[in-house]
Amino acid sequence: MMSPITAALRALAMAFALAAGSAYAHEGHDHGAAPPPVSKTIAPRGEAVSSGFELVAVPRDGILSLYLDRIQSGEPVPGATLEIDTPAGTATAQPAAPGVYRLPAPWLNKPGHYDVMVTVTAGSDVDVLPVALTVPDPTALVTAAPKPVSARQQISATVTQAVPALAHGVRNRINRADPVLMAVAGGSFLLSILVVLAVRGRRRVPALALLAVTVTVLLSASAFAHGGEDHDDKAIRGAALIQPAPGTAPTDLAQRLPDGSVFVPKPTQHLLGLRTVMTEIGTFYRTIGLPGRIIPNPNASGVVQSSVGGRLSPPQNGQFPRLGTPVKKGDVLAYVTPPVARVDVSDMRQRQGELDQQIAIVQRRVERYLKLAPSGAVSQVQLEEAQDELKGLRDRRTALDTVRLEPEALVAPVDGVIAEAAAVAGQMANPGAMVFQIVDPKSLWVEALSFDALGGAENASARLADGRTLPLTYRGSGLADRNQAIPVQFAISGDTSGLRVGQFVTVQAATTTELQGLALPRAAVVRSSNGQDVIYEHTGAERYEARQVRVTPLDGNRVLVAAGLGAGKRVVTQGAELLDQVR
Amino acid sequence: MIPWRAALLTSVVLVAAPVCAHETAGKCGGRVTNAGNYGVELVAKGQTVDVCLLDGSEQPVPAAGFKATAILVEGGKPARIALTPADGNRLTGQAQVPLGTAPRGAVQLTAPDGASASGTFN
Repeated sequence: MMSPITAALRALAMAFALAAGSAYAHEGHDHGAAPPPVSKTIAPRGEAVSSGFELVAVPRDGILSLYLDRIQSGEPVPGATLEIDTPAGTATAQPAAPGVYRLPAPWLNKPGHYDVMVTVTAGSDVDVLPVALTVPDPTALVTAAPKPVSARQQISATVTQAVPALAHGVRNRINRADPVLMAVAGGSFLLSILVVLAVRGRRRVPALALLAVTVTVLLSASAFAHGGEDHDDKAIRGAALIQPAPGTAPTDLAQRLPDGSVFVPKPTQHLLGLRTVMTEIGTFYRTIGLPGRIIPNPNASGVVQSSVGGRLSPPQNGQFPRLGTPVKKGDVLAYVTPPVARVDVSDMRQRQGELDQQIAIVQRRVERYLKLAPSGAVSQVQLEEAQDELKGLRDRRTALDTVRLEPEALVAPVDGVIAEAAAVAGQMANPGAMVFQIVDPKSLWVEALSFDALGGAENASARLADGRTLPLTYRGSGLADRNQAIPVQFAISGDTSGLRVGQFVTVQAATTTELQGLALPRAAVVRSSNGQDVIYEHTGAERYEARQVRVTPLDGNRVLVAAGLGAGKRVVTQGAELLDQVR
Repeated sequence: MIPWRAALLTSVVLVAAPVCAHETAGKCGGRVTNAGNYGVELVAKGQTVDVCLLDGSEQPVPAAGFKATAILVEGGKPARIALTPADGNRLTGQAQVPLGTAPRGAVQLTAPDGASASGTFN
């Protein structure tokens, strides 16, 4: 005789055994490849990986499409030779697109399980990848569809299906401590109490009790039967779906699977240009972010200033150089005509008069000497002195004329582009005022303010507000504090197109602090809808899983994963944003 | 209390089974890997390629009726070797070129009932 406790123990043990069986049944036989995703919109497919390649084979309409990618980077492998051992002999697949190969395979029209071996030769890399393909029976889908049956058959069928479904449902719900089960049990209990109370109180309506019990049983049965469907794939394929037209394979759609991973078929991966990188632990230098702004290179820029106050006038061509005009060193950019004050004018008139008078006197003297000199009445020395005096007086007179008209030419001190122009025709320029600023746009510097003296500042980069990164070369730092910080100057060593002087940048300068961790490109980290940083790990050939990570900035381009990811994982570095949009 | 022990044993076996599935050293002196429900042990010596058949618990399975094809990569070139049953649980075949002792590649197995399975050696 068995005690109730022993019976309960056995039941419990059996429940454990059943639970263990269902949990491990998937993983026992298939190693390496992830189980094919269970979804109504995904065609059957096989995948295989080797040390160098990742292969996905999709049979459709008698054609086997093979997608070949590099396993580490995820880029398609074009120009490879794929020799395939099929049940119908050895065949070579034809390239259809970069990384896509097709093989006519009429043998795939017959449902069943197929094992093919694909020998991939891409350059010097050779690999053998066995792929298992399962072609489902289309007739099985049709026969499973509901057919018109008699009411009696339907009831008996319902009862025979409902009993195992009920048991299955109860087991599942016990396993999961399902609230629906609790609710149904509790509801039944309450209802029966109500019925008992009603019968006791009135003692006349047994029919009411019968009705209540029937309703309770029916309600619970329907609840369990519904639960059973969720866990049985065959039931889903047979009954719960809209039947696809015979002969048409389901289309592959990128989708988020119930377990949270993202299924992206290979054609979509190629379209989105997804690329991955294998994470590895490395040693990096900690960088600090400094506020900075773009300045012109002090040796390749200049200002044009007027040395005297005066009226601005355009150069010979009649046009002041406008902003952005390229200029050469020595080009005249403008003229400044110094104004002549009224008192100076009268002074000059007086001077002119005096000079004119003296010139006239000396002129006459020279003429007289010229006549007398041949006869010897006047010495040659006297004649020459008179001539020199006349020449000197004339020069002074000429200088007095031109000094009023001669404007100062403002010339470009360096080659470059007009960055700033303040010239308006007729404007009075103050002495020392900047009229033009000339900057060489190909030679720009960055000046940052640092609160510490930078040790290893040789390795630095600047990040713009739009995400662009500029490599920098350390040029020097000041010793005098400016706003309690040290100005540090860097030269931009890369392409400077599109940059403006005065633009704000964030300078990431390396310090001497060493850090160990996984460095990833900044584009690999996406902000999920709940505000957390996630990266996408490429777990299967067509599966990506979001991993929450904690990142610290490393430099302008890269971040360091502090927690949440180990080494040797494939992480999406290109197209992670697009992947995050898949619903 | 027999069902109680049986249940316990079942659970232990189910938990332990996936652990034994990796490429390991075998009894024939080669490398063992999983091919579907079978284990295959690959022994390459010169031009001769032997494959020993094992079941899930590493016990020999008679090779009669089985067919197998091995594609092994040697010197950057794939070699295709058809294997035929020999004595006991052994299938054997001859390669065109001498192979190393641990070539990379795959073995495809076809059981007498037509079911096929593959195992890889890396």
